[in-house]
Amino acid sequence: MTNTINLEMKSLSSTIANLNVSMTQALDSQTSNELTIAVNPTPTDNSQVQRLADFDTLIAALEYAASGTTGYNFYDAKGSLRSTLPYRVLRQNARASARRLLGLGLSSGDRIAIVADTTTEFVELFFACRYARLIPLAMPVPVNLGSHAVYVRQLHGILESSQASAALANVDYINFLEEAAEGLQRLRWVGTLEQLEKLPVLDKALQANQPDETAYLQYTSGSTRTPRGVIITERALMNNLQGIVRNGLEMRSSDRIASWLPFYHDMGLVGMLMAPMVAQVSVDYMATQNFAIRPLQWLRLISRNRCTIAFSQPFGFKLCTLRVRDSDLEDLDLSCWRAAGVGAEMIRPDTLRNFAEKFAPAGFDMNAFLPCYGLAESTLAVTFSHTGHGFQSLRVDAGTLVDKNIAVRLQADGRKYNEFVNCGRPLPGHMVKVVDDAGQELLDLRVGSIMVHGPSIMTGYFNCPEDTKNTLQPGNWLDTGDLGFLLEGNLYITGRRTDVIIVNGRNIRAQDVEELAEQQPEVRAREASAFSITDANDIITIVLVIECRLTSVIDQQSLTSRLQRLVYMAFGVNCLVELVSPHTLPRTSSGKLSRFEARKGFIQRTDLADQLSVESRDR
Amino acid sequence: MAHDYNNILQNLCHHLEHFASSGVEIVPESELIDQLAIDSVKLLNLIMEIEDEFDISVPINILADVRTVRDLADLIHKIKSAS
Repeated sequence: MTNTINLEMKSLSSTIANLNVSMTQALDSQTSNELTIAVNPTPTDNSQVQRLADFDTLIAALEYAASGTTGYNFYDAKGSLRSTLPYRVLRQNARASARRLLGLGLSSGDRIAIVADTTTEFVELFFACRYARLIPLAMPVPVNLGSHAVYVRQLHGILESSQASAALANVDYINFLEEAAEGLQRLRWVGTLEQLEKLPVLDKALQANQPDETAYLQYTSGSTRTPRGVIITERALMNNLQGIVRNGLEMRSSDRIASWLPFYHDMGLVGMLMAPMVAQVSVDYMATQNFAIRPLQWLRLISRNRCTIAFSQPFGFKLCTLRVRDSDLEDLDLSCWRAAGVGAEMIRPDTLRNFAEKFAPAGFDMNAFLPCYGLAESTLAVTFSHTGHGFQSLRVDAGTLVDKNIAVRLQADGRKYNEFVNCGRPLPGHMVKVVDDAGQELLDLRVGSIMVHGPSIMTGYFNCPEDTKNTLQPGNWLDTGDLGFLLEGNLYITGRRTDVIIVNGRNIRAQDVEELAEQQPEVRAREASAFSITDANDIITIVLVIECRLTSVIDQQSLTSRLQRLVYMAFGVNCLVELVSPHTLPRTSSGKLSRFEARKGFIQRTDLADQLSVESRDR
Repeated sequence: MAHDYNNILQNLCHHLEHFASSGVEIVPESELIDQLAIDSVKLLNLIMEIEDEFDISVPINILADVRTVRDLADLIHKIKSAS
């Protein structure tokens, strides 16, 4: 509550004062970066024999990769090479930093939180933690206007939840981190890599990692109040990486990867940072914000460096289709791109078709599309479709889907349909089943909750026994929270349950939005319901329905606009606020609010019946 | 210097007209989120236009402290003066 009020009263002068501090630092960091301009990226062709992820631990994989010539490369907003980090150099630097981290008096298993900007510093620190047998966790960078206070609170929440012993950020973000660290007793050290490098190297041999130890914590979603860290062991990690590298991508020594995915996201961290390294291939990175501002730069990187693999959420493909000008196509040659991985949110076939159509003149091959499905709770990947076959989809009758939860193939033209993308089969050793609300396994084409079982599954959520128990069900079946159906062993995702809202590729927990509302003095607990609606153009909007006792129009407006601003600052999206009279929101017999019913009611009140999609269903 | 700043402010308001909801008056004190409804996708477009127009690179970390049109104009002015 106090935080919220401070946020609002924050004066312009304090904003500008903060601006001055970060400004100077940002300019400093720009100048210091200039000194490390690299001339050539690491090569695609390696000097060593390729080994496809047959290692026991991540560090064992790096020890091998370090004897070759490949590595990571970082590009700036204009597409110029800023720095390179060959695996050989990464090994050296990470080992040195590991000894310095140990010099801070940390013991193995301690958590180290790192703000995950797309930089060499983050990568070195992440691997340094593993060399020191510490558990790294990647924290997000802020993306929204005016989000200073919300971001600091988010960092604070993660630091607290992970009980981190040390926290690091680069100069651009160290101010936020220091602010977030206030009042945390367990945190022994907060600083930048430069500051760490000034510390003495502890003269102590580094111990080998074991498959059973925790490799890292993955914090899911940008949730503000209740962050949860997924625990992934070395064994789960290496298992998933092997599946991705061998079965999912069928990697070869001629592969090269381009990526803008953030390192604090599982697809960026596991898929684009670790998977290339365990197969000893080179990667070209650009920062997420630079991609978001100029998506063309990603395609240019692929074209120029002849990259063969690049992943994105559907949102990224959409951004390219929308924002790249036709005149830019002439300089692009995307014929090298053999695996255009797409996952992390519902895939709309039209998003892929529009992208393929737009970039066909630039040599993009539609068969390169590689739909896949996964989640951080299963390290990253669960299913992959076949490389080189493009995407397959199924059109099913929309009416039967809503009424009976059955996907029936469209028989006649002219009927309303939903089209779902085939996300492929589970990786070796993994099983997927679809169950109804009672936990009974369903037959092909019946829509239900997707459950996953296999060696890549998390151990649990760090320090959250209750959440762990709800998610990891008897027999070690992971409840993914996604809805879908199976057909001949292939998985089709039809949506998320109502507890998660996906906007612009980001998972937002409905509960977090509701809690934000309930922090307002005018809103009582359990009188707010959040869900999303999707319009005919696939635009997703968050709706927040509030039971409200305010009678004055001015008070009502004040609450509405405050809620809109808070939701924006926390999640970066606009939201629609509807104030209704008390007792309007539908409750279950146990008094719990039903988001599914709340959404139905909202749609009826606002006459949006056409937009009632199959995406949402309560449990 | 003051002249430069006013130019920037004017120019910025001009750009914002394309992004803001129609009929909204844009003044230096306008809140970008509350009053002009600049969401995250609009913001990216806006930054691209600003970078092209003013020939600068906007460090993303600083945007966390930008709330009003004037904040943004101050930021652009600072980056331009520093380069």
